[in-house]
Amino acid sequence: MESMLELTGIYKSFGDNQVLRGIDLVVDKGEVVAVLGPSGSGKSTMLRCINHLETIDKGSIHIKGKALVEGGIYVDESQQQQVLSATGMVFQQFNLFPHMTVLENLIEAPIYVKGIAKEEAVNIAENLLNKVGLIEVKDRYPARLSGGQQQRVAIARALAMNPDIMLFDEPTSALDPELTGEVLKTMRELAAEHMTMIVVTHEMSFARDAASRVIFMAGGVIVEENVPEEFFNNPREDRTKAFLMRNN
Amino acid sequence: MDKFFDMTVLIAQGAAVTLEIFVVTLILSLPIGALAALGRLSTFKPLRYIMEFYVWIMRGTPLMLQLLFVYFALPMIGLKLPDIAAALLAFTLNYAAYFAEIFRAGIQAIPRGQFEAARVLGLPHWHTMKRIVFPQVLRIVLPPISNETINLVKDTSLIYILAMNDLLRVARTIVQREFDMTPFVIAGIFYLTMTAVLTWAFKQLEAHYGKYDA
Repeated sequence: MESMLELTGIYKSFGDNQVLRGIDLVVDKGEVVAVLGPSGSGKSTMLRCINHLETIDKGSIHIKGKALVEGGIYVDESQQQQVLSATGMVFQQFNLFPHMTVLENLIEAPIYVKGIAKEEAVNIAENLLNKVGLIEVKDRYPARLSGGQQQRVAIARALAMNPDIMLFDEPTSALDPELTGEVLKTMRELAAEHMTMIVVTHEMSFARDAASRVIFMAGGVIVEENVPEEFFNNPREDRTKAFLMRNN
Repeated sequence: MDKFFDMTVLIAQGAAVTLEIFVVTLILSLPIGALAALGRLSTFKPLRYIMEFYVWIMRGTPLMLQLLFVYFALPMIGLKLPDIAAALLAFTLNYAAYFAEIFRAGIQAIPRGQFEAARVLGLPHWHTMKRIVFPQVLRIVLPPISNETINLVKDTSLIYILAMNDLLRVARTIVQREFDMTPFVIAGIFYLTMTAVLTWAFKQLEAHYGKYDA
């Protein structure tokens, strides 16, 4: 199996606060990894280190076999850009560009970063909007959409760059409960197409039936990882058991 | 009635001077203010301190003092500017400082998530500033800029101390000569017309740049 992502010995501190204390993780092509853990466990920070929104103190990150950072030393800026072009990210707060329509949000980066012709970018964008069921709102501004719709647009925007690995940072945490379903459905469809995904989430149902592997983090380390069935039915570590008791 | 007409023509000539100072100051101080704001937010500390010092001086002293300084003090050290240039220099430096503060607040009001979203899409920094940040900043800063711009129309009247024949000075001269208060009323109407046009124009701009609000 081809490895999509390799994290080796990742350490990260914010001042005196050591958030990641030695993370090792290999994600293969087509895997859907759900990352669970109490708040402050470092799961979002780990995700943000993968695409260099946070700078690590120690360790190595390889994406599709290419180094982003090796032994704590980052490759040069243009190489980083190239390595990171394989990743797409979806944020908790959507972060759509409010002054651009849905369609404009989707075509901005393909045109200006990838140099795709506008007609082609629009074509790709419209196909993606069709896929997430939002083609009818393509000319609206984000503020006119529900939170669930905005997040699906954000997913489509990330997909428009044709990434090989999608990072989701608590994609449903800012949504009203009745809107999480439509976003999770879009993510499930993506998983069914064998997109490689790392999903930091509190949605146990998604981890249980859409993930191929579940990772449990606490105190800046990976405490336990397993296939969902085993993870939920036979947790080995006490901290995992306590977490599952509280959250199920 | 003829007298009234003559007064209005004279005052209109003064209004042309006022408008010239106003337009040139605005055209110069807005981009300088935007650059000064970037300087104040720079990670390069010396630049940041220089810009903070500049803003402190300009906001911390009366515009009248700055005008007098440029007009009377600079020639003493050998810098003699033509009247209009001296006035423009003082106005531009002063207003650029206020605009810098407005732009700084506007840039800082853009959520970090906007920068991060642009970054994970691979958009280069300058492109992010130009296409993602600046249009949003514009919308935020339009109301305070509108405010300052209207102040500028009225502040131009300070140049009367530099003996330039602006709107107010012309009006005052006629009042003193004719012992007639009408010129003040006419001058007031001129100022009100100018600020009314500006208010309208900024309203259109705000509507245009605010079209994406819910």
